[in-house]
Amino acid sequence: MTANRFQRQSFLGERSEAILSNCRVAIMGLGGGGSHIAQQLAHIGVGTFVIADPDIVEESNLNRLVGATAADVENATPKVDVAERLIRAVNPNANVIAIPERWQAKPELLRECDVIFGCVDHYTGRDELERMARRFLISYIDIGMDVHRLGKHYLISGQAALSMPGEPCLWCMGLLTEDLLKQEAANYREAGDRPQVIWPNGVLASTAVSLFMQLVTPWHDKLLPILVEYDGNSHSVFSSNKLAIISHTQCRHYKDTEVGDSFFKTT
Amino acid sequence: MTIRFKMTKRLRDFVLTDLMRTHPFAAERVGFLSCKPAASLGGLIILAAAYHPVADEDYLPDHWVGAMMGPNAIREALQFAYNHPASMFHIHLHNHRGVPAFSTTDLGESAKFVPDFFNVQPNLPHGALILSRDSCVGRCWYRSTEPPVWISRIIFIGSPMKLIQSP
Repeated sequence: MTANRFQRQSFLGERSEAILSNCRVAIMGLGGGGSHIAQQLAHIGVGTFVIADPDIVEESNLNRLVGATAADVENATPKVDVAERLIRAVNPNANVIAIPERWQAKPELLRECDVIFGCVDHYTGRDELERMARRFLISYIDIGMDVHRLGKHYLISGQAALSMPGEPCLWCMGLLTEDLLKQEAANYREAGDRPQVIWPNGVLASTAVSLFMQLVTPWHDKLLPILVEYDGNSHSVFSSNKLAIISHTQCRHYKDTEVGDSFFKTT
Repeated sequence: MTIRFKMTKRLRDFVLTDLMRTHPFAAERVGFLSCKPAASLGGLIILAAAYHPVADEDYLPDHWVGAMMGPNAIREALQFAYNHPASMFHIHLHNHRGVPAFSTTDLGESAKFVPDFFNVQPNLPHGALILSRDSCVGRCWYRSTEPPVWISRIIFIGSPMKLIQSP
């Protein structure tokens, strides 16, 4: 049965099935983006999932939360439960560790992960996840989308970014800046619900999964783009122009030596 | 206990390049990785932070082993472990493809000097690694009083990411 399931992705390599089933992946944020990623990784054959989100399903989530139903709104189902149900429906053998609260409540569950997907709404959340990932030498894939008002119209845009230890980080890419963090902190209480729709989330989640697949089971030898941008109005996905500047630079925000647990002692 | 060892591909490539250099008289080169450990639910994670090659002049002529470190090489590694504090992992290359294996000499020699690191950092794990051109294997001493255990998973972080399960 297993051979049939993955038969049509065998071009990913002889060992791809074993690599993926041995992979431990974290998805932080199980909303519009994270739910898509959970579904795709379950289909692909990832073996272990650590999923975290403190929220429950609300009526306003149903326009984009993959796997959520009207009954989940009625039952106030935690988003992690929806994701776990979705993953297990595709792959009953998957190992799913669900954290129905902020990941910071159980950070030790993330330390063993091979890749972390960040699907969080805020810059602070991205910054915290990337810091954690860098400290424990974990590749971090971040997705973000935005809808901006342009006069009478709207612009849908977003990006998927891969932050690998030793390589440029979200700060190097300009996706995190002091100004953005300050602005977010200043507007924290006034921040309302930002516009979100399912199809850009799907495009960005698929792009993030594509980066993940090239990272763990590359099917070609072209350079892995670490920043992919999305223009929802022109329906285009492209490697960022910023790559020409940053791809050969050493990250100056994270030092190679700042890893591990500073207080570790064998007991 | 499950032990995972992680290092960036960039650092692995740097180490590999250094270890492949010829030495005026030694048949192979050796070095140390300074590492930082972290606890995880399943055991222990060792994270490689920096590479410290043994200087040319710190090898001793020896016909029985590929590379014999002199006392200064060990002293410098011990000093680094003490000053920073760091877990220290001895590393050398078996220049072939595929999973390398510890020879009887590798097992015997590492068992002689790795426990010395507990004299300067008694509460940190230490160990030894053997790199091949595309794989790696390692042993870790968690406490000075216990025998070493095999590192169960070695991960090179980069593109592509390499996951090596213990044989």
